[in-house]
Amino acid sequence: MNRQQSLLPSVVAVAIGVAVAVGLLVVGSRDPAQSLRAYFVSPFSNRFFFGNMLSSSGYLLVAAIGIIVAFRAGLYNLGGDGQIYVGALVATYVALAMPGLPAPVGTLVLLTASAATGALMAAASGAAKHLWDAPEIITSYLLSAALIPVADYAIAGPLRDPSRSLLASARIPSAYRLSRLLPPSELNTSALVAIALAIALFAWIERTTRGYELRMTGMNRDFAAYVGISRAGYTIGALAVSGALHGLSGGLMIAGTFHAAVSGFSLGIGWNAIAVALVARLDPLLAIGSALLFGYLEAGARTAMLQTDFTFQLGMVVQAVILFFVTGSVLIRSRRR
Amino acid sequence: MITSILSAMVPILLAALGGTLTERAGVLNIGLEGLILIGAFFSVVAVSATGSMVAGLLAGAAAGVALSAVYSVACIELRANIFVAGLATNLFAAGMIPFLSETIFGTRGVVRIAHDASRVAGYPAIRTAVFALGSTAIAAAVAAILYRTPLGMRIRAAGGNPDALAVRGVSPLRYRRITMLASGAFAGLAGADIVTRLGVYVPNISAGRGWIALVAIFLGARNPIGVVAASVVFAGFEVLSGAAQGFTNVPGTLLLGVPFLVTLAAMIVYSVFGRRTRIQGQPSPNE
Repeated sequence: MNRQQSLLPSVVAVAIGVAVAVGLLVVGSRDPAQSLRAYFVSPFSNRFFFGNMLSSSGYLLVAAIGIIVAFRAGLYNLGGDGQIYVGALVATYVALAMPGLPAPVGTLVLLTASAATGALMAAASGAAKHLWDAPEIITSYLLSAALIPVADYAIAGPLRDPSRSLLASARIPSAYRLSRLLPPSELNTSALVAIALAIALFAWIERTTRGYELRMTGMNRDFAAYVGISRAGYTIGALAVSGALHGLSGGLMIAGTFHAAVSGFSLGIGWNAIAVALVARLDPLLAIGSALLFGYLEAGARTAMLQTDFTFQLGMVVQAVILFFVTGSVLIRSRRR
Repeated sequence: MITSILSAMVPILLAALGGTLTERAGVLNIGLEGLILIGAFFSVVAVSATGSMVAGLLAGAAAGVALSAVYSVACIELRANIFVAGLATNLFAAGMIPFLSETIFGTRGVVRIAHDASRVAGYPAIRTAVFALGSTAIAAAVAAILYRTPLGMRIRAAGGNPDALAVRGVSPLRYRRITMLASGAFAGLAGADIVTRLGVYVPNISAGRGWIALVAIFLGARNPIGVVAASVVFAGFEVLSGAAQGFTNVPGTLLLGVPFLVTLAAMIVYSVFGRRTRIQGQPSPNE
């Protein structure tokens, strides 16, 4: 997974993933031509689909740069899915509990709540790793998996709005919602926030001393500690930032698109973000393009599901195939052993 | 009570034994969850086609081997990051099964095993005894192989000291590949055990057992006999949290998180008091 290497493995992995998608659409659909058209063309067919695709790419991008921070520090955050979902839930709760704040303050408060939630969840794994060497790859997943049912319970129980047929909370005050950029689509200012964050993270990682220390920790934890770089800071801190970005992604989804916590609404995005980050070779700027690509593939899979008889999570299979291949260095290097 | 604990122990133990083998060979097997799931699904396919529980178990194991073959090709032949390939294994199983289920059974949801359920489930107590004893015997066999045979020594060297193995002209990768395929069989069998015991497949029926098994490996000090004890402990908590639905007011949704919470607590307790969990050969994601 050498970041400095070419993008060739990413291209190969995505090509294989798309080929598998085409194969499944042809095999599994009664009208392959229509399914393929829905998959590849529909995201560009009108303003509504196009804007929605850009919008979901934005949320994906925020989570993906969250993964990048952890990976660049040499840490695995596998709790992203839960950090997004629980972050979104807490943001919704805070917005519903404080409906009277002035507009921009309310939005900021709910976004901060979501980021803080994700940060706390991931930092807990970081602390366990720093203090007791507990493998964060396992603890981050387990904590997230333990809290997802709690969020499900809150949405279906105490926070549920009984007037809605959906399993969902009440809607957040309209003043707190982000403004739409391309009606009637969902595209909103969060997409711009996502791009700004990706650029800022790139600058931070590549151009600042702290970013350098983060990269150094990622390359060799023991050496970094030996030369005096704070082990705690780049373990607990890096995971906290990673979790905060995941939580923020969930908060942005609430403020930008969903306006209420809906049961299971964000699940899967955390895993998708890992694929986005790896295809981008852990580069925050390349992640912008990678997030757009995955947003496109996801949107295509969704419309192929809605418009045709093809009814399953094609996106997940494509992500899996891409993940099998994307880190394979043999694609670019000759074998050593 | 003891019967249900033993039943719950079997799939955790089987998956954890396979995971112990790969872990000793230097691969922390993040893909166990997906391997269990694919084994469970293909076991249901085989049982509904043939009506035979044995066919179901074999098909489950075979499906696990097939998926772990892809996983090991990615890790070893293509030199993919083992954790990313493990995630891919889990996502692949979770994504492909709805497609296969729709194609084969016409539903993405619950699949009951079509043939006579009593033939599949058999006599519960006898089945439980056979499977519990069988999986414990497998644990003893795995321990014997690991500690008493040249193969086991090489597996341990592949994880603990791969350079020593390489110097002697033996490729550690070979032993990683073998153990990954074996863990596919074990995890597939674990999935087959779950569905043939319940007589039904429901989406995500593995319910985190792959991750629980992963922690059971550490809790069992990476030793098959210790893993048996750890699996009994986790099985006990599983039964307890299932029973809690009956005698407490805690909503069922919340209880779904309890096994993960218990496993997390076990991982932390082990890390605090046990030997330090330096995962062998953990590749940095940044390399």
